[in-house]
Amino acid sequence: MKRKQLHAYVFTFPSLFLTLVLGIYPIFWALRYMFFAYPGYGTPQFVGLDNFFRVARDAQFWQSVQNTFVYAAGKLVLTIPLSLILAVILNRALRGRHLLRAVYFLPTIFSASVMSIVFYIVFNSYNGILNQYLMKLGLASSPIDWLGAGNAMLTVIIIAVWGAVGNYMLLFLAGLQSIPDDVYEAASLDGVNPLQRLWHITIPMLGPVLQMVIMLAITVSLKGYESIMVLTEGGPFGKTEVMYLYLYKLFFPLTSEGSSVQNIGYGSAVGFTTALIVGLVTMIYFWISRKLNETY
Amino acid sequence: MAKKQWLKTGTVALLALALTACSSGGNNGNAGGQNESGSGGTNAAAEGKTKIAYWTMDRHDMDFMQDKVDAFNAENEDNIEVEMTVLADNYNQAVEVAYASNQAPDILRIFDFVTYVKKGYLAELDGFMDDEFRGKFESVLAENVNMIDGKLYSLPNTGQYWRLIYNKDLFEQAGLSGPPQTLDEMVEYAKKITEAGKAEGAYGFASNFKNNSGFTRPAYAVGTLSSDTSHEGYNIQSGQYDTGMYKDVVQAMRQMKEDGSMLPGAETLDIDPLRAQFAQGKIGMYVNHSSEPAVYANQFPTEVDWAAAVVPTASGEPAGVTWVNAGAYLGINAHSDKQEAAYKFMEYLYGEELRVDYQEAGYGISVLPYVNEAAGAPEIAGIEGFLPTAYDGLYPATPLSITETKLEGLKMSDAFTRYIMTGGEDLDALIADLDTRYNKALEAARAEGLTNIEANPDFSAAALQSSLASAQ
Repeated sequence: MKRKQLHAYVFTFPSLFLTLVLGIYPIFWALRYMFFAYPGYGTPQFVGLDNFFRVARDAQFWQSVQNTFVYAAGKLVLTIPLSLILAVILNRALRGRHLLRAVYFLPTIFSASVMSIVFYIVFNSYNGILNQYLMKLGLASSPIDWLGAGNAMLTVIIIAVWGAVGNYMLLFLAGLQSIPDDVYEAASLDGVNPLQRLWHITIPMLGPVLQMVIMLAITVSLKGYESIMVLTEGGPFGKTEVMYLYLYKLFFPLTSEGSSVQNIGYGSAVGFTTALIVGLVTMIYFWISRKLNETY
Repeated sequence: MAKKQWLKTGTVALLALALTACSSGGNNGNAGGQNESGSGGTNAAAEGKTKIAYWTMDRHDMDFMQDKVDAFNAENEDNIEVEMTVLADNYNQAVEVAYASNQAPDILRIFDFVTYVKKGYLAELDGFMDDEFRGKFESVLAENVNMIDGKLYSLPNTGQYWRLIYNKDLFEQAGLSGPPQTLDEMVEYAKKITEAGKAEGAYGFASNFKNNSGFTRPAYAVGTLSSDTSHEGYNIQSGQYDTGMYKDVVQAMRQMKEDGSMLPGAETLDIDPLRAQFAQGKIGMYVNHSSEPAVYANQFPTEVDWAAAVVPTASGEPAGVTWVNAGAYLGINAHSDKQEAAYKFMEYLYGEELRVDYQEAGYGISVLPYVNEAAGAPEIAGIEGFLPTAYDGLYPATPLSITETKLEGLKMSDAFTRYIMTGGEDLDALIADLDTRYNKALEAARAEGLTNIEANPDFSAAALQSSLASAQ
């Protein structure tokens, strides 16, 4: 028993060490500046809770929080059902299913930044490929401003869904394969149709996997900003600014802003607040979804 | 079984590919890291060379500069080998990360002079240079531009001269004979160009509104030429913000948007896609700087007949000078242990022959008297419109960057861009709100000692007229 425990400690040590050094330490490094004014040079000046008062009245930050919820909700509402349906279809003895699984999974391994550049070419309104097709097919009379103020959020959600569906499909597939075949066989003997099968057998039996996948999807969506940074830089005028992009810019001003003055003190306070928001949402989700975790 | 084998091989190949991609990134880091090692790494030691890394964000002159770097590597007698790296849009983030991880290059193009010095990134240059060399630059040295507290950290080189760039073919097609002198004319011309060219997808005006510079490029140029006191929304005389200096140009851009004279999608346009559209004859006018001739000669070759002119103002009469972006070109890494070698390379880049070649090839227009005296007219198409006029000048530094870290609410560039794109706000109220917030932020920055820029009652932009070139 002792030997087994030793093995467990030895094997968990590398990841524990890396988490501590690369995950926990930087968080504390940044968090200590929450109570300081610090532009990245000079002596940090203690300002007490001023940074948090500023977070409370920072309309731009709260707008970015609101945008984040719209973005995350849009992404989840589309991604989860789509990836579940794909998983169910590709879990059947379908010819070419391995190839299809690989194709759907491909977006997951592409760099979000590179794909955002490709999507910029597809969606931009002045010579984007999408508009050219829509106009050729007579579906649009003039170019649609996909990345303009009115549509930008929808466009970044579509791109996020494209990037995420394959990943969650794979997780669902793993879950589906743990459902014993005899349950389905018994159901088919009882004359259950495919929709009933999905609703009354597959989804309930996927409960714990579903709970975990949705939890992952929520946290990833709330924290996502990379593709938005490349595609719109949070624009037009803040319409797609999500909270982690807002935070990123405080620590690393974008080259296009023409300044390299960091805002580490205020950024740390914003970072703490965003972490609190993500943590709170996750906890609420766990409480609401506790029934899903009941195994059948 | 064979299928499984194939899958396994595929997976391993994929992993290998991913690892290669990661390690190539690592190599880039090592290039910088090696410079920190002091001995110059094993390769360098074996060859007895001092290897230094040089980072730049300039793309328009990269071939020319690479040739000059190669020539330096081949000819210098100090056994110095320079590796030049051109970083594009994320230059600033790359530099920040490189310094944070102790992998910064030995010599680098400066992006934000004051902040780089305050962060301790740059080495003082005074100790390296002799009086004769320094004497060549005396007339273009200024506090917060290339000096801090009287110590020199960088030297100027070329200046960005800002102009209205226009497509002469589209102007002709719309029955227009020359560039607009006033903002009203610019609005009217944009409308006429759109009416004449819309069927072929050509529009009157564009700017790269994907980020702040969509506003700042036209606004800073028009704003400075229209004002005797202010730049970057800051009144240099009074030491307070006065963003009302942009009211006229913002209204003009809003009008062009309302008229439908602006290229569709300008909201998300970056500068290179804008240039690509201009090169295809889809844009009548935009405002940018003197890199454009090289851009249209190398990066986006074009058949379009284009020219550059002094930007318009509300009255058509200049009150100040169009700002010239110059002052700090290169800096030497304060943490490098090869500063001597880096300085020798820097001195080489300031050699008269090299700078004259650079200017004559049209890659940039110098602000250095010794270059301008020796260089002949640049040979590149379109450069004529960018040559210094009596209405170009170097402004003193403003406290904008540091003010914006203390600013609560929208930045002026975002607030004005939103107004240009959507309207529906009271522009005077917007300006009053900006002034209040910016002045409050400036007060906080001053109270914390983050800036030493104060009111300068003697400043006059009109007095800068004819400082870089005499009136014709």
